[in-house]
Amino acid sequence: MTDTHVLSVAQQVGSRAMTWLHAAHRDGLGRIPDNTVVDLATPNDAYKPLGEIALVASVVLRDGVAGPAGTRAARELLDYAWEEVREGDLLYERQLRHVTMSDPLELYGHFARAGYRHPALEELLESISRLRAAHATEIQANRRLAVANARRLVGLSHQPDWDALAARTWLGATPEPWAVEWEIAYQITHTVFHLTDWGAHPDGLPEPMRDHVRDWLPVWLDVWLEIGQWDLALELLIVDACIGEPATGRQGWDALAAVQHDDGLVPREANEAVSSDRDESFREHQHTAVVAVLAGDVTLARALGTGAAAA
Amino acid sequence: MPFAETSLRDDYAAAVERVAGRTLDALRGGGGAAALVDPDTAVPRPLLAAVRLLGADLLSPQLLTGAGPDGPAAALLAEARRALPAPAPPSREAALVIGWQDWAAGQVLARTPYGEAVPPPAPLPGPDELGWQAWSVRMAQLSVLALPGLDGPVHDTARARVLALARGTVRSMMRRDLTTAARLARWLGWAAAEGRPLPLDVGPVLDRIRLAGDGSARTGLELAVARLLLDRSRPSTAERNQAP
Repeated sequence: MTDTHVLSVAQQVGSRAMTWLHAAHRDGLGRIPDNTVVDLATPNDAYKPLGEIALVASVVLRDGVAGPAGTRAARELLDYAWEEVREGDLLYERQLRHVTMSDPLELYGHFARAGYRHPALEELLESISRLRAAHATEIQANRRLAVANARRLVGLSHQPDWDALAARTWLGATPEPWAVEWEIAYQITHTVFHLTDWGAHPDGLPEPMRDHVRDWLPVWLDVWLEIGQWDLALELLIVDACIGEPATGRQGWDALAAVQHDDGLVPREANEAVSSDRDESFREHQHTAVVAVLAGDVTLARALGTGAAAA
Repeated sequence: MPFAETSLRDDYAAAVERVAGRTLDALRGGGGAAALVDPDTAVPRPLLAAVRLLGADLLSPQLLTGAGPDGPAAALLAEARRALPAPAPPSREAALVIGWQDWAAGQVLARTPYGEAVPPPAPLPGPDELGWQAWSVRMAQLSVLALPGLDGPVHDTARARVLALARGTVRSMMRRDLTTAARLARWLGWAAAEGRPLPLDVGPVLDRIRLAGDGSARTGLELAVARLLLDRSRPSTAERNQAP
């Protein structure tokens, strides 16, 4: 049972981060530049933040624990993101040109989670997922899970072997917990996110991997809190809410509440100053805002037994 | 005229290394700490201080390897405890730690003609009160209690909270505090010898500390004790071969 102090702090951190995120987008920060063409040279810059907005908004709407203001903000953010991808046309055109590229599928998965659909894109994705090429791309094991989860969200007929995919990740090997480094920690969090679809299927994480996470998550959280890696700490708190009963207590939430600014910004890490330039500050801390909202949301949803997990 | 002078601190550190090194030799089947002393002269003060610091570990070869009684080592430990008072504790918590370290030395001496059993100090708070982080650091300071034949409330908590010990070990490894990690790994070895299942594979931890640690004899002693305790948890090849 999560204690009520944790729930109240999680709710506060998450809703304040949502306020910050919503205000930034309302004021036009993070918009895809008008001159962006389908064949983006650096797709990550424009697409990744938009995908994260769609992710956080769709999960908040799915879980239904945000309250009226949070729900309204999530709806507006998702509408805005859907508009930015021209109601899916941009994703469709990009996927049509690049058969093996997975970002249109992954981005669309978040919209599909909330019922925003593009039939022509789905037909295209269904066709591509039948290609051997779509499964032969050489990507990291946790990235492969991201693609599999997106296919699951869209409802494509391809059925992955989840256990085999999970076994190929770092966590699947349940390696020495002290060998985990910063980048590996992010691989671990993403493995959990995709296998459980952000807490919707706590049982999606195979039991030996879940036991491993429950044993060592408190250590990983402790060491990255100590050096002020707030972004990673928030991802670890999401993990804690995705796997059933929480393995960590108040430590993480109290530390994060203490570093959150009055306007809701959560600094990415302790060792860098927050820029006074709003654009720059938004670019640097938007990911942390997204994971702060998600951490609060998934923690509440798990404790209240709402959202997809309870469905 | 040029002359070399070492600070007092260096003298004491060197003495600790010498005593730990000799004990390590004894654990591996060589001579004991008694070989440090010339029976005809007074024991130098740094050496006595080092013996007091290592405490019960001075007799770890007898407790762990079945080595014969080491009268001179026991006499040396008894003399150190007589000659030097326990260090003044900076806090109530430190006083408890020193009290338990001293209890361990008294307990092992009580098995020899050189001492008698001492009453246990007040119990220590456990991981529920301190949090697993602070409690595991405290347990690392008490690694000398992780010896066969010693048992008490500290051991009861260790037996019951193996996961907290393992978390403390992993935390120390990740914080590059390999000295604390070695001492906690020793507790894990002790728990294994007690038949407790371990959530962490301790062998690779010991190996990592051996290669990446400070290389001191004192850490080497912790590692050697941990390894011997761990070996007790599984039957040796010879024992297995004897099984019907």
